[in-house]
Amino acid sequence: MATLSEEHFSALQLLLKAPSKDAVRQMCADSFSSGAPESRRLAESTAGTLSVSSTEAKQLLTALHTVAHYVVFHNLASPEQILAVFPDTFHSSLKNLITKILLEHSTIWTNEAIANQISLPKLVETDWRVDMKTASDSVSRMAVPTCLVNMKVQDFSCAGGIDSVSSVTMELSKETLDTMLDGLGRIRDQLSTVAGK
Amino acid sequence: MLPLQFTKDPLPEAVTTDFQNLNKFSEQQFASLTEILYQFLLEPKETDKFLAQLNEFAGENGMSAGPLRSLIKSVLLLPHGALKKNLTAEQVKEDLLNLGVNEDKAVHFSNQWKVHSAVLSRVAVGQTLMVNQLVDMEWKFGVTVGTSEIQKTGNIFLQLKLIIRKGNSTENVYMELTLPQFYNFLHEMERAKAALDCFS
Repeated sequence: MATLSEEHFSALQLLLKAPSKDAVRQMCADSFSSGAPESRRLAESTAGTLSVSSTEAKQLLTALHTVAHYVVFHNLASPEQILAVFPDTFHSSLKNLITKILLEHSTIWTNEAIANQISLPKLVETDWRVDMKTASDSVSRMAVPTCLVNMKVQDFSCAGGIDSVSSVTMELSKETLDTMLDGLGRIRDQLSTVAGK
Repeated sequence: MLPLQFTKDPLPEAVTTDFQNLNKFSEQQFASLTEILYQFLLEPKETDKFLAQLNEFAGENGMSAGPLRSLIKSVLLLPHGALKKNLTAEQVKEDLLNLGVNEDKAVHFSNQWKVHSAVLSRVAVGQTLMVNQLVDMEWKFGVTVGTSEIQKTGNIFLQLKLIIRKGNSTENVYMELTLPQFYNFLHEMERAKAALDCFS
């Protein structure tokens, strides 16, 4: 978790060269994603917008990225909390503008961080079907209902952004399904107890 | 010989002879042999126990284990065929009589059949093929306290481990669900159960 330093704030002052407030807003929004500080394309477009060198643009992007992540990490929700992050010598109206933009985006960024956090493979989809078994090699005539459930899970931990979606199909007898629903019901009861507290 | 109900194929001579040899047992011996047989039918996986009981029976009654085992093998053809064809106790009795077994032994055997028929059918259905059968489900749920991106958070997560039988071994499938996904899953499973209940 990077900490904010003098260099970051002096890089942020480069935003004074921005042509408009919307340009500042756009740069803040673009700098949040994890690939942003390293992105050459983004550095070049920022350098073009601000008429600065690409090294300076890269430093600015890194600074914006760090500030945005700092706000999300510490869950700074009020303007006063965010203003307190900046040093006293920082340009005052730029400070207010950046604070306003950060506040606007912080909820979206927080949700994005929660959605992308590490976890076990996530359930994507569930499908089920009920069949009626009418015969088999051990019983030549029967009428036994059975349930087939297919679950698709997506594993985000694969490197290179290749999401592997794997699918598992399983068969449940009536007893198994009843037991499973028992367990799920207990989870639901415990969840409502926790929510009620 | 009159046609049999438990099998369509003609039986070999040896098997017919074996059935008729059952008449040589006394009432007492036949009763205990029937009991051993039914115990095996109700628990088909307990083959060692079955063989041990047969050996004990052979020892107690002064006969050799080998011929007894082949006799029982022939006799087992009848209950297996009867289970497959869902025969009633009456039909089992008729088949035994047609094979030349004494009236009282046939009656005793078919009475035992009636007594155990519910469990026997359940065992037969249980032996039916199941693909990727769900064996067990373990779960835990909790609250995420913090991450590298957010110092303090309070999201509820639910983790499921499904144990699936694939052939002779089991496979574990792990997954995580959010709360809305869990409620959706629960809802879907309740619908599946309602559909299953319709048919039973």
